[in-house]
Amino acid sequence: MKRQGLLLTVLAVALLGGLFAYGLLRGEPDRDIPTALKGKPAPAFELPVHEHYVNQFGETLSLEELEGRPLVVNFWASWCAPCYDEAPVLQAYWERYEDTGVVFVGVQTQDRGKRAEGRAFIDLFGLSFPNVVDDDSAVSVDWGLFGVPETFFVSRDGVVLDKHVGPVTPQVLDAQLAALLR
Amino acid sequence: MQLELGVVGSAAAFLAFAVALYGAVAGVLGASRRDPRLVTSARLSAVAGFLVATVAIVVMESALLTDDFSVSYVAQHSRISSPVWVKVVTLWAALEGSILLWAWLLSGYTALVAAVAALSPLRPWAIAVMQGVQTFFFFVLAFLANPFKVLPNPPLDGPGPNELLQNHWMMAVHPVLMYLGFVGLTVPFAYAMAALITRRPGAEWMVLTRRWTLAGWGFLSAAIVAGGWWSYEVLGWGGYWAWDPVENVSLMPWLTATAFVHSVQVQERRHMLKPWNVALILTTFALSVLGTFLTRSGVVSSVHAFGSGPVGPAFLAFFVIVVLVSFGLLAARWEDVKDRAELDSLVSREGAMLGVNVLFLALAFAVLLGTLFPLVVEAISGDRVTVGPPFFDQVTLPIWMLVLLLMGIGPLLPWRKAEEQSLRSNLAWMLAGLVVAGGLAWALGVRKLYPALTVGLAGYNVVSLGLLLAGALVPRMRLAKRPALQVLRSYAHENRRRVGSMVVHFAVVVIAVGVAFSAGYRVDEQVRLDIGGSAEFEGYTLTATELFVDPTAARVSAGVLVEVRSGDRFVTTLRPRINVFPGSNRGIPTPAVLYRPSHDLYLSLNSNVAPGTTFVVLRVVKSPLVTWIWVGGALLALGTAYALGGSTRRVAARVSVPAAAAREA
Repeated sequence: MKRQGLLLTVLAVALLGGLFAYGLLRGEPDRDIPTALKGKPAPAFELPVHEHYVNQFGETLSLEELEGRPLVVNFWASWCAPCYDEAPVLQAYWERYEDTGVVFVGVQTQDRGKRAEGRAFIDLFGLSFPNVVDDDSAVSVDWGLFGVPETFFVSRDGVVLDKHVGPVTPQVLDAQLAALLR
Repeated sequence: MQLELGVVGSAAAFLAFAVALYGAVAGVLGASRRDPRLVTSARLSAVAGFLVATVAIVVMESALLTDDFSVSYVAQHSRISSPVWVKVVTLWAALEGSILLWAWLLSGYTALVAAVAALSPLRPWAIAVMQGVQTFFFFVLAFLANPFKVLPNPPLDGPGPNELLQNHWMMAVHPVLMYLGFVGLTVPFAYAMAALITRRPGAEWMVLTRRWTLAGWGFLSAAIVAGGWWSYEVLGWGGYWAWDPVENVSLMPWLTATAFVHSVQVQERRHMLKPWNVALILTTFALSVLGTFLTRSGVVSSVHAFGSGPVGPAFLAFFVIVVLVSFGLLAARWEDVKDRAELDSLVSREGAMLGVNVLFLALAFAVLLGTLFPLVVEAISGDRVTVGPPFFDQVTLPIWMLVLLLMGIGPLLPWRKAEEQSLRSNLAWMLAGLVVAGGLAWALGVRKLYPALTVGLAGYNVVSLGLLLAGALVPRMRLAKRPALQVLRSYAHENRRRVGSMVVHFAVVVIAVGVAFSAGYRVDEQVRLDIGGSAEFEGYTLTATELFVDPTAARVSAGVLVEVRSGDRFVTTLRPRINVFPGSNRGIPTPAVLYRPSHDLYLSLNSNVAPGTTFVVLRVVKSPLVTWIWVGGALLALGTAYALGGSTRRVAARVSVPAAAAREA
């Protein structure tokens, strides 16, 4: 009985453990939501510009105005902690890539009535690429946002090449910008 | 420089881990070498661990209440505009915080055991086992899911906790009850391990932990009912149980714990089922770890699982270790644990207890199978399938009916062997109760099998409880020549466990009837209402009188006022609405419920409400007798509390009787 019991225990644990290990390793296909926009034209928008950039871009900025230039469209919110992590990365890459013709656009979204907080966010990181306000979150719906932060990569001819959910890292931006500027 | 809260919290988490590890090691060394100084040191470290863990909790609560977004957990899960109560309960609204709460409660129980548990050779080992479990939780907290990370660029505000969680005050109650239950059942587990280690598998460990077990079981039961009521009030479909994996993993340990609560009595009275009891409590603990793993790893898909993270593999490893060590130990000690007594007759109290044990284990197995089946299928064929309510209902309903059947007869059976004559007359009365109640239900139009059967069995059980009470009271009344009420009062006072169990059994009957009717005779319709227009539903006239918008700092509610009339009589005005919390686009439908003893009327808004809206779509549910589930739940908690209350002296007296241990040996 002693040996049998031990054997049974080990067998049951091995079976269950194996099953759960499989469950863990299989990942979560549900989480990796592919964008239906991939390969499709980026949905148009025209949004008010944060006051830092009004001199350069005017009161509003539309996708049309940026036609012909590759785009990195980054959605963020003032309450979103990971956005604070990625903002310095975005600014650094913007400074490095500004001359290649690519345009970074920051979209403050899902943050109704928090324009002042948005300004503070921009000041905090000294963001020098244009940032706009999606106050009623309509654009985030058009773009099928899963959450913030989320970053879309749009080709010169206005087609969404890819998107990244969660904060961008230098590795992500290196790879995506290389593809974008090819 | 000001000391940052995150740094203090992290330090407390690491220190709590170190103290627990020290306590576990010192406890094992001290107990195995019989070194009283080490044993005492380990015991004191349990109290120290609780104090350190309390510091971590206080730090987290202060960070939440002062909106300190430099603390990662606060930045990710809190929000300035939330009401204070939401900030307080945000502590357990997400993964890391819930582990902190769990670890803290565990350290509290360990400290309590160290402080108040009776001196026995088992105690040092039991404390060491609890400290071992605590070491794991604080390891996860400090190294894998540290909520106290200091953010270099703290955000100005956070997103707030999950909207569904802030939408109801039950968030403050249900999770805490759940953890109190799980953690409470760690105590009998630890004592069972101690009994195996010290080769003292007699009734000692169970008698010592009887109150802990009952309290843990009571908390878990209350948590499950409270969780049902919460989802009823919040989720908008008018139900309370969906056989979702998260629900199932809370039910499984409850099922085995319920079996355990019954079968320990067999060992106490008849010195039987020793290995069975040990196995049951080991299984209960393993299942609670398994449930924690499943809900925190994303392995099974569920509507309300925690987000995944690095804690999944850790909990899996812990589960494997727990099962291997505990059952390995049981196998190694088999010769000591093995039963020597044998069942005299199946028709006896112990026979009924054994039967109910088999039923509860069958239920636990069915639930486990249904919960894991999708994973098994995916592992073998790669297909994604779901196992839903039809499977669980079909498999478990007949077993639940058998549970009700045994629940009625079991307490009336004497230990060892029942006399045929008294059994027959009792059974005749109870069957009469079954037939009368079932027939009455039939006459009143209940034609569905399970609801009718449940009513019948409820009658049968009520008769059984009446017989039980009469059997206890009538001889006492004759003897004392006092009125029934006085005798009842003194009987209830002297037999708290027995009377408490009667209350609990009655509560189960009440819950069963509530479940049978709310599930069997629920009416669920989509109703379109023009603003100003009316619709008929199940004898009610529903009129949408006007739209309303009610903005507060914490949320914006938009909904519709619905006047409810029954015939010409005004009944009430209900306010089904959609709550939108700041920082989110998602509207959370918030149902409005008219609670009545006979049935609930449940309205949930299924369409958007905006200025200019001309009509609304409502999900209207009529749920018969559903309120009795919550009433039964409260009754069950009261019965358990009653059984727990009263003098501790008798328990203490029983524990300190060395003869009991000697007889075992």
